[in-house]
Amino acid sequence: MAPPRAGAAMEASPIVTSKQREEVVHGVPTEVVCTAFSNSVLVVVTQYGKMGTIVYVDPNTIGNNVGRPSLTTKVLLGKDEPLVHVCAKNLVAFVSQEAGNKPVLLAMALKDKTMEGIQALREVIRSCQVW
Amino acid sequence: MEAAGGGGAAAGGIALHDFSGRLGEQRVHFHAMRLRDSLFLWVGAAPALASLAVAMCSPRDSVPVAASLLGDPSDTASACLARRLASKTKKQIFVSYNLQNTDSNFTLLIENRIKEEMMAFPEKF
Repeated sequence: MAPPRAGAAMEASPIVTSKQREEVVHGVPTEVVCTAFSNSVLVVVTQYGKMGTIVYVDPNTIGNNVGRPSLTTKVLLGKDEPLVHVCAKNLVAFVSQEAGNKPVLLAMALKDKTMEGIQALREVIRSCQVW
Repeated sequence: MEAAGGGGAAAGGIALHDFSGRLGEQRVHFHAMRLRDSLFLWVGAAPALASLAVAMCSPRDSVPVAASLLGDPSDTASACLARRLASKTKKQIFVSYNLQNTDSNFTLLIENRIKEEMMAFPEKF
């Protein structure tokens, strides 16, 4: 595993915190950048170097105060197909939960959408914890 | 006005760049993320993300096309800025504009501050 790059956190105190990591995941070069905002978390997971599909993952706590809040996924840009919603939930449900049920704005451009691939990507996201 | 580099980012990878500026009476913060042929730019005074728009040049139109992705669709500040930056850079531009002030004189100051930073650190955009 490559060490995370020195982010912008050291210099001139940026107002938002970001962490980024470059790693080969199941043979595919992957870049992950996580940025913490006060009201949400931005997660970029890319194997094409671009934003790709943008999904808004929103925990709806209203009317569901027992146990975990359910997550609503909304494709803001790109192909709106079931697999996208499944991948999005699998990738960042834990981010939303750990951030105290904040919504997550996810930008993903994936070559490998297998279960194992997603699982490995989740660990890379975890290593960029800013929430 | 000060700038912070995004660390030792390789030319090919995603580059992060934070900078700020005092515009009028307000300190405005910027967070840029350069991707392949595209740019994500967040603008705000407080660390919230409340809107998002995308713009890109179109071969059929002289004005870049823009779409609001997140937030109040009647608030066109993000889309306007994205459109202007797309027209300047020819890249796909994502903008999240999170300031109350959307007065055209003020947004021009914002735009000029961004362009100034683009001139100073072209590799970050």
